[in-house]
Amino acid sequence: MGGHTKRDRRTGRTDLLVVSGFVVASLIAINLPAGPQRAVGHFIRQTALSPFISVNALLTRTQARARDFDTLRAQMDTTMALVAAQRTLAEENRQLRGVLSLRDRAPSRLVPATVIRSGTSGSGSVFHLDAGSIDGVRPFNAVITETGLLGQVQEVFPDYSLAYDWSHPDFRVSAMTPDGRDHGLVEAARGAFREQDRLILGGTAYLSDLEPGTELLTSGRGGAFPRGIPIGRIAGVAETSAGWSKSYFVDPVVYPGAVTHAVADVGVAGEMLAALADSTTAPSGDGSR
Amino acid sequence: MRLRVFLLVSCLILGHLVLRTALGFGKAAPDLFIVALLVGSRTLGVGAGAGLGFVLGVLEDTFSMRAFGANALAMTLVGALGAKSRDFFVGDSTGFLVTFLLLGTWARDLLAWVVTDASIRPAFQDHLVIEAPLLALYTTVVGLAARSLFLRRRSRR
Repeated sequence: MGGHTKRDRRTGRTDLLVVSGFVVASLIAINLPAGPQRAVGHFIRQTALSPFISVNALLTRTQARARDFDTLRAQMDTTMALVAAQRTLAEENRQLRGVLSLRDRAPSRLVPATVIRSGTSGSGSVFHLDAGSIDGVRPFNAVITETGLLGQVQEVFPDYSLAYDWSHPDFRVSAMTPDGRDHGLVEAARGAFREQDRLILGGTAYLSDLEPGTELLTSGRGGAFPRGIPIGRIAGVAETSAGWSKSYFVDPVVYPGAVTHAVADVGVAGEMLAALADSTTAPSGDGSR
Repeated sequence: MRLRVFLLVSCLILGHLVLRTALGFGKAAPDLFIVALLVGSRTLGVGAGAGLGFVLGVLEDTFSMRAFGANALAMTLVGALGAKSRDFFVGDSTGFLVTFLLLGTWARDLLAWVVTDASIRPAFQDHLVIEAPLLALYTTVVGLAARSLFLRRRSRR
């Protein structure tokens, strides 16, 4: 009996030590700097979770390939109509830029990627892209779909990257109306439930009067997002701040849960920059600035 | 841990990864990690229960950008308390199991919410009063079904 009690006490003490060890390990994990946390996450994704992520990527790709042919045909027809309509505009634009001695806009390179959702708790706004630094993706690149802005790349590894969509609390993007008159900062506004998440446009002038349905585009301020990507449409006034500013609710154009394919806007690639530098320093005497 | 319980816990862990990560069902699929932890911890020692919780929590945190470690801590504590509950509650009646699974799941959500950064966690009443109890109920139903399927023979003996 006494032996039993002594053994129980020893087991109890060992258990307490083991539990304390795991609790301390968890607290260390919570308080680790972002770099080591990223390294641990990357290691687990590349080992224990790798087969499951690969199956998810395969299924998502298959699903995207099996999309209704008529839908794809309709999208292609729309794109062709847009390209045909803008062919003359491009020429006019080139001529006008020549007249005004303006330099060409920096070309942008897009990297296609499959969007994979992990489904684990705590990863609600985070998704996995099957394109990484080998493909030219870098942290803070914009992630875009055919309808508009989805989110931003955060962590990049050689063959994949992690990004968050606009519903993440850290998401911010400079926005403007298509005429460029009204500017502001768009951020996520959490709904009571995740399905009610939407965006909010803040920092607009108090006298601005944006009608519901007005389109919002990225303004390119800050350099994180290229200019002109659709973000959403004004839904209504959210708040007015005593004669100083107004904020508006914005209905996003992209619903993250429905996205299976996106492109990362990797900006100007190194070789493109070199080519641009050559063209601007070439002795053409066009007075580019 | 008995072989049947070990098989059940392994199947639940695999099922969670297949349904949520491989097939991408997200919250539409039940949280089988917590069921595996609660069922497993009833047959494990306190230290082993905490260890199982820590491993499952770290797996759950892999894709978490701003709350890394929150699930690890929550599931470690739930695993340890689940194992410790054997000292206070003997037997596996349906009433006890329902309460155990419901409270265990909700306690995990509560602990994870407490240690998550205040700027990114959802509102208390929306998450812990409305969403978490409903998900806990869903998890409990699935947990009871899985347990009765795998551990049926023993309970009849």
